[in-house]
Amino acid sequence: MKIGNVEVKVSIVAIAVFVIFTIFLIVASLSSPEVRSQLIWLVPALFMLLVIPTALNYMSRSQYANIAPVYEAEAKTVRIKLINESMVGKPVRIEGVVERVYYQWMNRPQYLIADRSGSISVKMFTSPDEDVKVNDIVEVYGQVIHRYMVTGDPVINCVLIRKIKKS
Amino acid sequence: MAGQISDNPEQEKQAEEMSHRWLELAVPLLSFGGALLAFIILVTNIPLDFRISIFGCVLASWVLAYLAWIRPRKDIVALSTPLYSFIFIAIPTDVFSSVVLEMLYAASLTILLVRLKYRFGTTASTAFRLKELAAPLKTYVVRTSVSCKGISPERGHSAAVIFVRFAEGNYGEAARESGTAAGQLEDTGTGTCLTRAFKIVREHAALLDKSLPLPQTFLTFPPEDADLLAKPVSGSPEKDHEFYTTLDNALLLLFSAAWNNSEKDRTHLLACEAFAQKLLSSA
Repeated sequence: MKIGNVEVKVSIVAIAVFVIFTIFLIVASLSSPEVRSQLIWLVPALFMLLVIPTALNYMSRSQYANIAPVYEAEAKTVRIKLINESMVGKPVRIEGVVERVYYQWMNRPQYLIADRSGSISVKMFTSPDEDVKVNDIVEVYGQVIHRYMVTGDPVINCVLIRKIKKS
Repeated sequence: MAGQISDNPEQEKQAEEMSHRWLELAVPLLSFGGALLAFIILVTNIPLDFRISIFGCVLASWVLAYLAWIRPRKDIVALSTPLYSFIFIAIPTDVFSSVVLEMLYAASLTILLVRLKYRFGTTASTAFRLKELAAPLKTYVVRTSVSCKGISPERGHSAAVIFVRFAEGNYGEAARESGTAAGQLEDTGTGTCLTRAFKIVREHAALLDKSLPLPQTFLTFPPEDADLLAKPVSGSPEKDHEFYTTLDNALLLLFSAAWNNSEKDRTHLLACEAFAQKLLSSA
């Protein structure tokens, strides 16, 4: 679904929640007249289960779309091995192969990206523009952060991930 | 105390390892001890509030969290155990439930302790507090100490600043500083190998600062410097491997020169030790 220039993706979790509560509502309204009398607000509330995650996704994706050009202009291209704890807060660009993809179904994907010098976790707090899969060659723009905010190994808070073709 | 540490670091290290071993032992002892006390209260009906036994688990949780905190890799599960131990105090229960809960909790803490030891490595506090490097970086720094001895403390400080700036990703600054340091060393005619290391770092930092690709030609160390280098630059047919290994060697040589000639910068170098270790151990 596209709102303006932003491609909005609703996570499978939000859809599953909506489906489960729809089933509950149908069963309850068929078996209880009291529930049927409340449908006037129950049905809109049910749709809010879809509308709220969609709105949140739209807001986060439009924010990411706004800051992506800043990162494209400022980030330095580095090999993964050079990323270390002292670089926390720095915008960086890396190129590598996607070795693993986690939590894509939650719209909070986490990738393990590797180049010839090493590998690093890349966390994204919204859905990416492109459907990135294992073995894709990608470029990543983001900021170096600690894995657990104040502690842990350095990871990349991804702002932009896209597939590239290497000649 | 600080004097004693620097006088006999090995002894201090052993003492600290011993205290960590006692703390590790305290986790099952305190937690299972608390559960045992609750069991004794249950079977003997002695006039003692059974809730006192809960403090065994609470203390064990804090000890486990401390052991997790002093490791370089933090275990978020072990760190959060004190929070769960307060749930023990907050939720009122009877003696029998308390015995069962404490037994299960003590078993969980023991499993977490084993997990912490095997999955989250050794503690970092000793090396940091003793101002010591860990192997294999220490071995390299000791090996090159004789060759780095003739360098002035000012150049040692420059090497430290450049290494730290490079680790932080401030490549523009690192390139400028290395250019200046290389020029000054050339003027004095000392440390030929170090001069080359400064020049190599300048070349790489300038390329990184502008996100430029690998150049057609680049600076390398001459074969006579091979003994001073941390990693062998074998006759690899891959140009990029040689290019990046040369940078690793140059940075590690700066680290060694800084460590051996600028003692006041060691705290900053220790903060970047993980980066230096990564350079040394990577392929």
